[in-house]
Amino acid sequence: MAKEYDHLFKLLIIGDSGVGKSSLLVRFADNTFSGSYITTIGVDFKIRTVIVDGEKVKLQIWDTAGQERFRTITSTYYRGTHGVIVVYDVSNGDSFANVKRWLHEIDQNCEVVNRILVGNKNDAPDRKVVLTEDAQRFADQMGIQLYETSAKDNINVEQMFMSITKQVLRNKKETKERQAHQNNDVVNLRKGHSKGAKRKCC
Amino acid sequence: MGSRIRNDVVRLFECFCEVAGPSKENTVPWILQKFPEHYRKDELLETVPNFAYPCEFDRTMIQHYSFVLTNAERIVLSYLPWHESFYKLLNCISNLTNSNNSKDLWPFLESVYNSKLPIKGLDLKINSDSGEELFVCQSPIQFQLPSIPENRNLTEYYSAVDCQNMIIIFASMLFERRIIFTSKKLYRLSACVQSANAVLYPMNWQHIFIPVLPQSLIDYLLAPMPYLIGLPHSLFQSLQRNDLGDVVILDADNNTIELPFDDLENLPTDVVSTLRRQLIKLIGGYRDALKFHQGERITFNKEAFIESRSANMQPFLKKMLELQIFQQFIEERLEMLNAGLGFSDEFEMEVCNYHEKSSNRLKHQYKDWTFTMKREGTALFKTVKNAANPTVRNAVKTVKERGKDFRLAYKDIRSKFNVPNKNPRTKIGTHPNSAPNSPSMQKRQSWSHTTASASYRKETANGLQKLTTSQNFKDSSISPLPQINLNLMEDLKEVIFRTCDNDDPRKYTSSWDDSVKSNFIINDDLISSSFGSMPSESPMETKDLIRLDSTSSIDDFDPLNSPTNSNGLVPGVGLSNPLYQYFVPLNKTQLETKNNNDLLNEYGLNFDLLSCTDQPGPSMSTSQPPVPPLPPKPPNFKSNWTKFE
Repeated sequence: MAKEYDHLFKLLIIGDSGVGKSSLLVRFADNTFSGSYITTIGVDFKIRTVIVDGEKVKLQIWDTAGQERFRTITSTYYRGTHGVIVVYDVSNGDSFANVKRWLHEIDQNCEVVNRILVGNKNDAPDRKVVLTEDAQRFADQMGIQLYETSAKDNINVEQMFMSITKQVLRNKKETKERQAHQNNDVVNLRKGHSKGAKRKCC
Repeated sequence: MGSRIRNDVVRLFECFCEVAGPSKENTVPWILQKFPEHYRKDELLETVPNFAYPCEFDRTMIQHYSFVLTNAERIVLSYLPWHESFYKLLNCISNLTNSNNSKDLWPFLESVYNSKLPIKGLDLKINSDSGEELFVCQSPIQFQLPSIPENRNLTEYYSAVDCQNMIIIFASMLFERRIIFTSKKLYRLSACVQSANAVLYPMNWQHIFIPVLPQSLIDYLLAPMPYLIGLPHSLFQSLQRNDLGDVVILDADNNTIELPFDDLENLPTDVVSTLRRQLIKLIGGYRDALKFHQGERITFNKEAFIESRSANMQPFLKKMLELQIFQQFIEERLEMLNAGLGFSDEFEMEVCNYHEKSSNRLKHQYKDWTFTMKREGTALFKTVKNAANPTVRNAVKTVKERGKDFRLAYKDIRSKFNVPNKNPRTKIGTHPNSAPNSPSMQKRQSWSHTTASASYRKETANGLQKLTTSQNFKDSSISPLPQINLNLMEDLKEVIFRTCDNDDPRKYTSSWDDSVKSNFIINDDLISSSFGSMPSESPMETKDLIRLDSTSSIDDFDPLNSPTNSNGLVPGVGLSNPLYQYFVPLNKTQLETKNNNDLLNEYGLNFDLLSCTDQPGPSMSTSQPPVPPLPPKPPNFKSNWTKFE
């Protein structure tokens, strides 16, 4: 049986409630029919398989309820994930302030984690309060990419998810290469049978 | 919104559903009836049947289990995590349903539904039309640790999972791992998951929390975030394990654990020892239940074991006697004792420590000299009481010396018992304390103190072989007693502490908790500053002093220090947080009203407790001095027993 995928990445989507995380997921996911359990068990995930540079990447994007009750997002929360999608609502200044605080704290943790900043609901210019320049300045300062999206109008959603996926994949390959440099022999031995075998962590 | 528990709940329950299980005709469970009928949260109701019948299980047995549903705005554990109340409520409902007055069910539900929630600690009572009491439940006091056996979930958790694994789970939760519990029984599953959370008190698990995971949601085990999920065993078997990644898996049926991390190793050692101490509170009393009758093997007395703990723990201890793990534990300990092997594992050391602290001093059988000590003790107390600050040190010294006398007397008694009988224990082919090749013995031989007390120690170490006649004991003509209820555990304690004495006190305490440690250090300082003229004091004697102290706090050590601290304010032992009780120095505020015996108690010198009941002491009973009767042990000792510190 052919391998279903070459890589499995678990991504985490965080942000205040009401910024449109679920909408982004639904817009991106393979199967929009699967029921949502976020309201009942507080956690939900969506799956989509994408092709990046000829490789099959299966994405699991996880969402949890009630993140806004956390003043800080601790590293235990995202240490098992390959990447974090941080979402704010461009029409809600508070949601941007929260996101800034979270990203500052994530940045202080040494663990390398792939991050992307997303300003959602970018479809009503008259209600936009978080200016693109401000958000971009912050993203540059943090060294992360910024995407302004609209789940409603399906603007930039696909590009955003592909961007974080590529980032995770690139990171994974770089890590692998670095390891290969460090101990050539071990990798050579492994190459034979590890083809296509997924690794748990990037 | 820091809490997951809602504070704005109006009623005991929001909706009661009777759910029909899947059958041949209908493969999905569905809701038969619900109350109130106008309850319309369809998203929630849709999920309920799925959780009520999470998987195929044996439905011939009644099981109580819980599941947790959240709402979208914020996670709630449940509107009210009153498992005990709901357990009662469900029982009541089923009684009503099965009795011939099943028409009463709806009115009953209605009155419960419409009842206002009682204030914490008060009862919610529902009476039938005829005034008959149908249902009573107490509003649980929240924000406290659950206790055994009142808390059904914790009792279940405790019987299913042993101490070590509970500590491991605790550690894993502190490190916020992804944790799966599995069991064939749904009630055990949900009870263990709920208890594991309860034990985290005062913290609360902040992540994914699913006491019983339905089959349809099995993919949620792939979640990369921390979770605590109960997985029915049938689903566990079908699990693709290599997709899971690093998870901690506890099998609650077999008490086994799979652990990809060494979180326990990373917990501070004194935290681990504290956890262990909680278990000692429960089962450490097994020592009091060991009985030695002359010419017989050491036996375990079940009644004595149960009585070794306060009344509210006794039902649980009775249950424990039925446990395989506990029986095995006792069997193994007895085997070691009867084989003459000494053992001094961490558990036994902690048990000793606990005994010291709870002032449950044993030595019942040595009544002969208790009266002398009682008299001296009372005099001593007066010294302490009247002493100004500089002189208190002398008093402390007196205590130390008394303690030494105490031990000398103890030794005498021991040799006394041994003399007439040529060591009854060797007679039956066993060795007391420890075998020569036991670790404790080896350690003891490397011991190098040569003070008088040290030689005493050595002597008692070999006391049973040496059979020295007593020197101080006046009445040496007592004939061998027909039945000596020798407390072997006390002897064992001697051995254990002797083992400890070998080492530098600081080194020795480093594996113990910090409070004790600081006590040791304080005492060392005391010795060096005020007993400078007493170079012969061995470190061991210093520790003796500590061991007479019934509390672990430094402040408690010197009662005369307390006036500087006692501003009359006691952190209230409030309903909201009874834990602080532990941190309130136990006797501080009562110092003024305390009588002599209380203070003696504090120093572990409560001689009334040492009196012997099953050993005839005719000479003593007549010469009993008119000492005022001792009050019962300070109540806070007992009240502390059931609570986790």
